Amino acid sequence: MEKKDQLFKQIFEANSKKIFHLCYGYTGDEDSANDLLQETFLKVWQNLDKFRNKSLISTWIYRIAVNTCLTYLRSEKRQAKDELTDNIIENRVEEFSEKNEQIALLYKSIAKLEENDRLIITMVLDELPYNEIAEISGISEGNLRVKIHRIKQKLTELYNQHARI
Amino acid sequence: MQEFDHIQSLWQSHSVEVKISSDEMLSQAKKEVAGIRTRSLFNIAGMVLSFAAIAALLVLFEFNSWATPVGLIIILVAIGISTFVLYKDHAIISRNDFTQHPNSFLEQLKKYQLNKFTIYNKLYWFYAFALSFGFIFYFYEMLESLSLWLQIAISAFTIFWMVLCATILRRSYLKREKERLDLLIEKFERISNQFDEHQ
Repeated sequence: MEKKDQLFKQIFEANSKKIFHLCYGYTGDEDSANDLLQETFLKVWQNLDKFRNKSLISTWIYRIAVNTCLTYLRSEKRQAKDELTDNIIENRVEEFSEKNEQIALLYKSIAKLEENDRLIITMVLDELPYNEIAEISGISEGNLRVKIHRIKQKLTELYNQHARI
Repeated sequence: MQEFDHIQSLWQSHSVEVKISSDEMLSQAKKEVAGIRTRSLFNIAGMVLSFAAIAALLVLFEFNSWATPVGLIIILVAIGISTFVLYKDHAIISRNDFTQHPNSFLEQLKKYQLNKFTIYNKLYWFYAFALSFGFIFYFYEMLESLSLWLQIAISAFTIFWMVLCATILRRSYLKREKERLDLLIEKFERISNQFDEHQ
């Protein structure tokens, strides 16, 4: 039991930040991202014995997180993504700076993407290798490359559109 | 006009902070389940205390009429049976840890919820009728020496209290408990479903 606790602690420390960033990029809201992080790692804890080393543990955790994100907003019928993005901007008013404004614009742009695209692009932004993203999202690597190219273009376009307003 | 590289560097420069540790996370999750267990335990403790208080009445006082001890015994039996049923229901959720056996815990939680509703729907009426019956016998001697108005007032208050418990209080308790359990079940189902799909 202690061995499992120790292992879980290590896994949490090594992966929680990236998973939190993924959830934050997906929801654009710190509280929801925190809920998603907890739910993801609760699943990791409960199913640690089932992990068979067929893939990297980080890939396995990402896959859990992606699935958690996709089911969370749908089943909980959370706030609409635009509303969430407004929250980010409101939350950041007190620490206004050009960089924070750009970050808020980035999250606002990500929020305009489709749910699956949002998750894929956050993994790209975190520089996950394409073969891992393909495994996590269940898309073939060839299709994924095309998809990522399209999402990158769309995100850049959205970001520039928002920056001009 | 910004390029994707700029967006990427912006993303990476935004450092996020995880404000919870692995231990805190697990203990927070356990707390939700512990809340249900604690409420169930308080419920049982309340019943045991009532049982002890009424049993003490029966043992420590002498009554002139046979009706009084009969009334008290009926009340004691009703409380005893209900406490036993509540304890059996409590045992369902206290048996296993959801962080260790999520699927069986989910099954137990559903069983607990179903039992809870049977208890507060079917068993409750047996409990309420037995208590009323017991009180009628008990009051037969106890109220005899009091004035008529006081007899009416005590009887009316007892009836009012029993009706209040059986209607408004019972319904609102059931509603609150259902919401709490539904939320937990939904959460555990979400967790289990994903693993049914992936493993």
